[in-house]
Amino acid sequence: MKYRLLNTNNAGLLIVLLGLLASCTSTTVDEFRQGETGIENDESVVILGRRQASDYETRSEFVECVGERMTRGDNSIRVVPEQEFVDAMFPWFEPRTAPLRTRDLEQLMAEDVVATKMNEFGIRYIVWLDGFTETSDRSGSISCAIGPGGGGCFGFGTWEDDANFDARVWDVGSLSSVGTINTDATGQSYLPALILPIPLIARVEANACSRLATQLKQFVLGS
Amino acid sequence: MIQLTATSDRGLNRAVLLFVLAMLAGCGVTNVVIDGSFPTPNINKIPVSVAVLYDDALREFAYMEYSETGQEEFNIESGLSHVQLFNAVLPAMFDRVIVVESIDDAQSQGVDAVFAPAIEEFQLALPAKTKLEVYEVWIKYNMRLLTAEGDYIADWVLTSYGKTPTQTFLSTEAAINEAAVVALRDLASSFSLSFAQVPEVRDWLGSL
Repeated sequence: MKYRLLNTNNAGLLIVLLGLLASCTSTTVDEFRQGETGIENDESVVILGRRQASDYETRSEFVECVGERMTRGDNSIRVVPEQEFVDAMFPWFEPRTAPLRTRDLEQLMAEDVVATKMNEFGIRYIVWLDGFTETSDRSGSISCAIGPGGGGCFGFGTWEDDANFDARVWDVGSLSSVGTINTDATGQSYLPALILPIPLIARVEANACSRLATQLKQFVLGS
Repeated sequence: MIQLTATSDRGLNRAVLLFVLAMLAGCGVTNVVIDGSFPTPNINKIPVSVAVLYDDALREFAYMEYSETGQEEFNIESGLSHVQLFNAVLPAMFDRVIVVESIDDAQSQGVDAVFAPAIEEFQLALPAKTKLEVYEVWIKYNMRLLTAEGDYIADWVLTSYGKTPTQTFLSTEAAINEAAVVALRDLASSFSLSFAQVPEVRDWLGSL
């Protein structure tokens, strides 16, 4: 009984320690506002990933995560899924043809087919997400071995993740840029291995997504 | 006793055979058939009737990617997906579109022009070779527009590009497919938006 109690305490301590280590992520959010914002109940937002860079592209999973979080909770906002919007607007929002500046959006809206589709979706704001998560400072090593009597790993690995994303908000009503929100999340991940590897992963991209979605929601609502 | 030994030998032989087959499969060429869905372009139609001629070279187009040691690595079959793409795009661009087997068929159908696309070059870039965390596909086309009688109207080069990032749970075959589908969408977007701006095509449309 005494032995079992000790084990439960150890397990609790280990969980607390793991939780503390896994939450070693710091996130900074910067907002730059250029114009007034606000959204009606029948209006919606579309969040699109920038895919013009040659060496990286904004992951659609991150775009989906931000959109999904904006539709949650109080004052939820209607968000049109990226793929649905891009397919319906084809070929105007492909990587090569998508507007890069609000001036390009103005020209695009002069096309009847584009303006009609935009009205059908009730798009008030287009949010362009641009960024990626980079892993750096990898160190340590883990060795694993297996034999007739069993196997196991021993060692320690660590690395740093940095997620940096920009969200540029365009007002489709006034055809102008109304602001930019930048999110930078960094975190250290650890992988100690004592027979079994125990991954303590810093949830950098998830934190960036959550903070960016909250800020974007407030920004669009105008609060 | 003899029976048992024979069974063990058979089992061992089967295991060796499976191992050898697995090793051989690991060294062989991987076939990737490009498969994707392509949306219909949201553009204004040009009031002309066009016959489209897909030759065998386009229908059966395949590209072989070789490893750094010169071994056949990936055989990418994209002919059918090109046909599917044009079949989705062309009816949105022109008033009437028919698929023909030859120029003679087009003439008997009384169309304004015959469109005959051709793939000139296909390139694949794998992360293992480029050291970038993206799979890339680049395709070069020769687009030809002829009169129903087979005379020259326009002939222009178009390139398309597609890339997809490396992901932990995405196989190389799936990543190549995704990059190729992005390249095909790129072709559809640039073709549909630039068609009427090609100088010879613009002159021809003006003369109708």
